[in-house]
Amino acid sequence: MTSEPHDSGDVVELPAASNAVDIALDELEMVYAFIYARVGNRADAEDLTQQVAMKAIPRLRQGAPASAIRGYLFATARSVLGGFWSTRLGLSESELHEDLVMAMPTGGYSQESADRAALILAALSDNYRRVLELRFLHGYSLKEVAAEMRSTVGAVKVMQLRALRAAAKVRLDA
Amino acid sequence: MPETPENRVERIVSGLLRGRRLKLRGGDAEARDAIIMAARLAAARQGPQRMNPGFRQRLADELEAAPRQGWLTRRAALVAGVGALAGAIGGGLAVRGLQAERPSTAGRVIKPTNGQWMDVGALADFPPGGARLVKAGSVGAFVYRSGDQVSAVSSMCSDLPCELWWDGSKSLLACPCHNRTFTPQGSSTGGQYPLPSLDIVEVRVTSEGRVEVLGV
Repeated sequence: MTSEPHDSGDVVELPAASNAVDIALDELEMVYAFIYARVGNRADAEDLTQQVAMKAIPRLRQGAPASAIRGYLFATARSVLGGFWSTRLGLSESELHEDLVMAMPTGGYSQESADRAALILAALSDNYRRVLELRFLHGYSLKEVAAEMRSTVGAVKVMQLRALRAAAKVRLDA
Repeated sequence: MPETPENRVERIVSGLLRGRRLKLRGGDAEARDAIIMAARLAAARQGPQRMNPGFRQRLADELEAAPRQGWLTRRAALVAGVGALAGAIGGGLAVRGLQAERPSTAGRVIKPTNGQWMDVGALADFPPGGARLVKAGSVGAFVYRSGDQVSAVSSMCSDLPCELWWDGSKSLLACPCHNRTFTPQGSSTGGQYPLPSLDIVEVRVTSEGRVEVLGV
């Protein structure tokens, strides 16, 4: 009845709505993970994933190759994410490029987000890395970070901003 | 007193670490690089995420309902296309020519709230076989003329938020942000995978030979 959607080049037949929905949901799990890794919270990730589903699914063609279905969904996800950031932050095209033009997942639930974060943190100076590790990876409050680093809350707040900006400038080779 | 950049970012970081959605304000764009990085680091802390079962079920329910509207058989799409064409003709001499030929990939039709027909020029000003960029208030569109009929699609790429341009040598709409193109009717061409079609913009020709676009 239905071909395995992860096999590139297979044809996904969509003879019944329920089959099509199952296939779409499996693909949308990856879309959700992809979006979550960029917005960092469940509520926005759900909203955006829903937008992707509603925008892309009705347009999927019967008999489309499985690889095209995934490509289609991720193209839509990039578009939706682009709209999300550009609407909220007024990002320019070149800034969006960095965040959106990226390889789509080839399957499974990759550690891409955690791996990239580790590489980015490793490229920072000790103080910057420490403040971001404590805050984001260990979930410390500002006060706890200040105590740990023998500093003040105000100084940690400024350091956090500078560390995030430095992290944003780190360029990882693909 | 304006919020300092460090306080601005701390407000957002603090919300993210509590699992809250990104609530951004007008001035937050000033710290956008830091905010985007904060969102990524907050996500990395959680590791790869799967959909919450409740959300997945909601999505499944919505998708189950979708076939009735969008997962169309060719016949249903053709019927819908004919209906849309008949409706358009009722409002003028208008036309969205090739919609019925590409039912399953057609973009959605832009129907602005409080939309109104806006004059974008005389039909004679639109070169046959060519597309011209027009603005109907906040709606940007490429109007394509074929004989005495016109059709229109959104001027924004369906993938990246970039305004398209008309490549007359290939008779295609091209995105300047990446190497992707669309037909004048909005279907994506080339590339490894199809992009979503461009949204359809309502357009008509009046009995006085004026081209009008539904804008806002």
